[in-house]
Amino acid sequence: MNKHDQIVGRYVYVTCQGKTYRTYYEEAGEGIPLVCLHTAGADGREYRHQLNDTDITANFRVIAFDLPRHGKSLPPAGWHLEEEEYKLTTSFYSEFILEFCRALELDKPVVMGQSMGGNICLDLALRYENEYSALIALEGCDHSPGWHIDPLHHPHIHGGEAVATSVFGLMAPDSPDEYRWETWWYYAQGGPGIFKGDLYFYSVDSDFRDKVHKISGKVPVYFLTGEYDFACTPEMTQRTAEKVKNSECVIFGGGHFPTSEDPEKFKEVIMPILRKIVQNDPKRRGGSAGNWSPRRQDGPASGSRGERSSDRRVIDL
Amino acid sequence: MSKYGSRKSIDLEWIERWARRVNEDRVMPKLGRFFNARFVLGVDDVDYLLHMREGKVAKISEGLEPSDFGYEFALRAPSSAWSKFSQKTPPPMFNDIWAMAHPLHKQLRIEGNQLTFWQNMRAMHWMLSLMREV
Repeated sequence: MNKHDQIVGRYVYVTCQGKTYRTYYEEAGEGIPLVCLHTAGADGREYRHQLNDTDITANFRVIAFDLPRHGKSLPPAGWHLEEEEYKLTTSFYSEFILEFCRALELDKPVVMGQSMGGNICLDLALRYENEYSALIALEGCDHSPGWHIDPLHHPHIHGGEAVATSVFGLMAPDSPDEYRWETWWYYAQGGPGIFKGDLYFYSVDSDFRDKVHKISGKVPVYFLTGEYDFACTPEMTQRTAEKVKNSECVIFGGGHFPTSEDPEKFKEVIMPILRKIVQNDPKRRGGSAGNWSPRRQDGPASGSRGERSSDRRVIDL
Repeated sequence: MSKYGSRKSIDLEWIERWARRVNEDRVMPKLGRFFNARFVLGVDDVDYLLHMREGKVAKISEGLEPSDFGYEFALRAPSSAWSKFSQKTPPPMFNDIWAMAHPLHKQLRIEGNQLTFWQNMRAMHWMLSLMREV
């Protein structure tokens, strides 16, 4: 008998800021809508493990879409005539998520995003608190500087290999090789300039440092960050969470791509939160989630200092 | 000893052992086929000049001299940072050159011709990760 994943993929037409985008999404499960946002330059495949996890899909309708220009969602017609390089803006990103949810007629979905998908949760809480029932910001914080750089889109540099290699170290060294290199592959498949363009949102256009205290707390915000994330460090997430009303913060022994780099470890930290969301859902759209607890790790080790040698020595190999 | 491993002394002998490990690696020839460059691995204030030919380390020189005709790029960090980077399980913020170079952390400086560095980054990344097997 053939083996299939339970994931089903479809296209939906989403109109945002005057253009209509044929948008690819995958889904599985029934219950509370859980809309998953991929990281910069990647696509919804980052959520394949959660889409396939019956402990999650028993209570949630898990939906992962590809933003326009990502994965199987094409750029808008005429993109080749654009006079400026692609730059994802906060307003487009936030409005597109809302219009996607409306196109699928989702009722008060939960949004879970990682990296830039985590950061946009802050804007969703600020602008659209009545539209969502909970927000889960994976590897999210109020400001992530330093990533909108030219080498990520340069004609003399292999974009796929350079982009994928530059994010590889964001993953925890003890995450399984199979899944770390799968994540590398997602990145290597991104369209030219798309990762860099997304990072315009991530590092330049979005700075929520002076805004997050205005989040009312009407929607609970759950922050989860891995200790190996050097783009959004545990300290950056903790500082943000302290300013956000009705928020929780979990630091765990993982990296920047928890859903794809180590799905087993991610399940340990996300299940208690998903169970809480089910319990707090006013319409009780889900059942009961499993009993899981987060795994924590110790702090870093210290290193040593070397000695300088004065005489020049040369070795031919 | 922490779970991340023991201390290491990063000297010429250690770099030679690393270079030999790079040269015997089975994947490196595929990744580094077009990697021909001279780069500096800076450890504290000592520069080690590495000549790369088709993804193999052909020569290591301790210190720089005018007759070297320079180098194309340099990765310079304190020995404490390289020590942590090269541990079997490196600690957070030291597990990757981008972690160490990120403006938030400032442990590693990437200098010289960034273009050559970026063009060969996949091979560089692979060979640097082999430091963990030295």
